[in-house]
Amino acid sequence: MRIFVSGLRKLVGRPASFVTVGLLAGLLVLIIIASAASANRSTARGEATLLLVTFPAAYDFVLEFILGLGGLFAVIYGAAIAGSEWGWGTLKNAVARGESRTRYMLLTFASISVMIAVGLALTFVVGVGAAIVGANIGGVSTAGLNDSATLTRLPQTFVRGWFSVIEEASLGFAIATLARSQLAGIGAGIAFYFGETFARFFLPDIVKYMPFAVANASATAGAPATPGGDGGSTLSSLPADTALLLVAVWLIGSLAVAILFTERAEITG
Amino acid sequence: MTSPGSDLALSTRDLRKSYGRRVALAGLDLSVPTGVVYGFLGPNGAGKTTTMRLLTGLLHPDSGAIELLGRPFARGDRQRLFEVGALIESPSFYPYLNGRQNLRALAATGAPVPPKRIDELLELVGLRERAKDKVSGYSLGMKQRLGIAAALLSDPKLLLLDEPANGLDPAGIVAMRETLRHLASIGKTVFVSSHLLAEVQLMADVVGIIAAGKLVREGTLDDLLNTQQVVRVRVAPASTAAAQAALAAIAPSTVNAADDGDDVWLSVHTEPNRAADVNRTLAESGIYASGLESGSDLEALFLELTGGGAPIAGSEGTFQGITSAGGGAAA
Repeated sequence: MRIFVSGLRKLVGRPASFVTVGLLAGLLVLIIIASAASANRSTARGEATLLLVTFPAAYDFVLEFILGLGGLFAVIYGAAIAGSEWGWGTLKNAVARGESRTRYMLLTFASISVMIAVGLALTFVVGVGAAIVGANIGGVSTAGLNDSATLTRLPQTFVRGWFSVIEEASLGFAIATLARSQLAGIGAGIAFYFGETFARFFLPDIVKYMPFAVANASATAGAPATPGGDGGSTLSSLPADTALLLVAVWLIGSLAVAILFTERAEITG
Repeated sequence: MTSPGSDLALSTRDLRKSYGRRVALAGLDLSVPTGVVYGFLGPNGAGKTTTMRLLTGLLHPDSGAIELLGRPFARGDRQRLFEVGALIESPSFYPYLNGRQNLRALAATGAPVPPKRIDELLELVGLRERAKDKVSGYSLGMKQRLGIAAALLSDPKLLLLDEPANGLDPAGIVAMRETLRHLASIGKTVFVSSHLLAEVQLMADVVGIIAAGKLVREGTLDDLLNTQQVVRVRVAPASTAAAQAALAAIAPSTVNAADDGDDVWLSVHTEPNRAADVNRTLAESGIYASGLESGSDLEALFLELTGGGAPIAGSEGTFQGITSAGGGAAA
């Protein structure tokens, strides 16, 4: 428990936490406000663009955006935290004090997972706020804000999405642990993310089982189609529950690899 | 050598470790008594840091045994380290956290640490005023002091310090030496790896010298220095050969110790109280010394045991310096 609380304290003070959430929220606000301000209602395309700020669909757009791009950011964040433990020699300090390597890694990842939940929630709130502002700019009614069906569904979608995002973070965490480096972990994580995204178009039957594809399929399951979005993961044919199960498999697998490597590693840095 | 078994805070038996084909430790036998400052000396690449890493579970030995505080230490015995404090190589911290936050983060691992202990240690190492500053803004000396504080967090019975004087100013070195001496005086054991022979000579009770992964000498500082008694005498370069011939009557192993540019220092391996005899012998030969020193010299013993900088198989070598005759690298 001490390590978990300490891990949270460390992450709260870490610039990477602010930068990641700030960048995600900033991009979201920019897209929403720019879309609302530039949409021309007299065209069909303009009408479609304004759906981004039309509630209750705006809830799904905001959530889909943060769970989609948030996945990439989570890979980077997970890699940055794990890599720095090796690069800065702080894992070495903990081990030399007699701390269990497995417990240290697991609790460090647990604190990352909580920080991701907080970051996603904050970004969601900022995104909804931006959508309300965008609706006013675009002259769209905000009557759908209180749509009970959507508000009832949102918590479950959020939790499913968070679970998918931490699976993506665990990949970055494992890669950086294997590389023992922040930069190598971040670089390899990004390459993996985009590599899988592109490969999806050529090898869909294989890639649908890969970590980012299952995360996407699980996160967007049940959500209605949004403008520009996957709309409930049209690229993946995996059923939602299968995707969720595979997310769990990838999450556990990534953590197992990171822990096994750390347990066996000779710490020389 | 110190006899093993009885009251040892730390011991290793036939400890071996290789990195691929390079042998770092080739059967290291250390015996560190309880309640002493133990100086662990060796040239670059001799295996000092590898030993430190093995003693703290960062590396695992290929073979051999380690005992910490009287009990075996192997994989799975990590809780033995709850009573050990360590500073291995350079101090490692989160650069974006301040000094106090770093100690608090470290205190969350391993043995429990009372909250007030952190402030006590910050006071001890003189960082209380800078405790709220980010570590990224600390000087090397400040990081080193914070590292020593981190090593002392759990009030350890055994303290392992790798080059603790790195980056410290003279006042800091004196304070560190007094702190370590105090810790030994209250029954704790301090194991210090260092290149600073003069510092070790001032601080250590027991010394172990390692070369090419093996212990080449271990014992109390007094015993070791008694084997290395020397009288040093400074003569003009023109008189060197005649002086050596004259001094051979006192000690056959008279050697050139150093050439300081104008004069030559000769080391005469004899009891320090025979300095007057050395001076008289030179005078009777018509040679007048311009300087005379007597005593025991850890540096001379260290160089003799470790090859004096000559390449040793398996070691990483050392700085060779500029030679005045022979055209060294920059000559």
